[in-house]
Amino acid sequence: MLLWLFQQLGQDIRLFNVFNYLTLRAVMATLTALTISFIVGPAVIRKLAALKIGQSVRSDGPQTHLVKAGTPTMGGALILVSVTITTLLWADLSNNYVWVALFTLVGFGVIGWIDDWRKVVEKNSRGLPSRWKYFWQSVIGLAVAVYLWQTASEPVHTELIIPFLKHATLSMSAVAFIALTYFVIVGSSNAVNLTDGLDGLAILPTVMVASALALFAYVAGNAVFSKYLGVPFIPGAGELAIFCAAMAGAGLAFLWFNAYPAEVFMGDVGALALGAALGVVAVIVRQEIVLFIMCGVFVVETLSVMVQVASFKLTGKRIFRMAPIHHHYELKGWKENQVVVRFWIISMMLVLIGLSSLKLR
Amino acid sequence: MSATTMNRSTEWCGRDSLAGFFRKLCRYQNRPVRFWIISMMLVLIGLSSLKLR
Repeated sequence: MLLWLFQQLGQDIRLFNVFNYLTLRAVMATLTALTISFIVGPAVIRKLAALKIGQSVRSDGPQTHLVKAGTPTMGGALILVSVTITTLLWADLSNNYVWVALFTLVGFGVIGWIDDWRKVVEKNSRGLPSRWKYFWQSVIGLAVAVYLWQTASEPVHTELIIPFLKHATLSMSAVAFIALTYFVIVGSSNAVNLTDGLDGLAILPTVMVASALALFAYVAGNAVFSKYLGVPFIPGAGELAIFCAAMAGAGLAFLWFNAYPAEVFMGDVGALALGAALGVVAVIVRQEIVLFIMCGVFVVETLSVMVQVASFKLTGKRIFRMAPIHHHYELKGWKENQVVVRFWIISMMLVLIGLSSLKLR
Repeated sequence: MSATTMNRSTEWCGRDSLAGFFRKLCRYQNRPVRFWIISMMLVLIGLSSLKLR
């Protein structure tokens, strides 16, 4: 929206042409999202508290978590509003990828909102039944996958890139591409949701991965840099750097309120939406495997739940003291802050490894 | 809602606003994360000077 305005103004006043630069708009998007969240955040938290939209805590979880009961939840709506407004302000709205990313973010956000609303406001402990949750996630995931396949103009837009290997790509059929896209979007959405169990645990890795994806999007959308670094050139993908920058800014501001001891939790509305958004950006810039590496913390959290459930069903024994794995470490005696900061450090290392794939091949 | 729960839900809510930012920031000395966030924002601003000139 602002891009269009500045382009009009730039015809008379050349100074406004500076806003054509993606890098400047990405910086402005981060600052805008930060500002919106900082200004609106306290009011949203007060409103959520007034409406008694408080988190329920699992009774079989660590005893130290019982004090968290009643902390306002659904704060992820703040992130969604902030990211959406910022993207609409600073991104090129004629770019289809921007709309795909926003559709995914808002679509998964709505699913999370309904689930949270039923659990917290309507006091329905089941929330949105799992089968319906996965059904609607699948509908959105498949719709995005089919759209991206249909609009891919060159084979490279649908190939699977193998990181760290030069010119190593796998051509995919329509079915393989759609299945992979579906898996990445729905998988990352649920993985972030599972990780969101300690104050600040999910949001900072999300910010770090979004920042890294902003760089990947910028490179993929730039003909010169993409050729130099050997990544596929995807015209228009650069605009996703604005979307990712907005996610990073809004996420950082949310961490302000979500840091231990949290004033607000993001709830499913934030976790499902942010995870899906990371997934769809990774698919568009053809970095699914790099996303898998960078989201290692989310992946391990998810695997810990799957292994725990499988082990208990097959052998009747638990491998971890509690799943997801952050609770396992808490029960081993780590303080909540220690678990969170250590997982952040691991996430930072994984993001750096992912970023190094830009050059190491 | 128990008394403890009520305390938890009301104690930390809505205190923050941009007004009196630093005064309140200093009150929460158990929140190093907020100082990290400020540092991170300053680093970003520093980095943006690479392009913004």
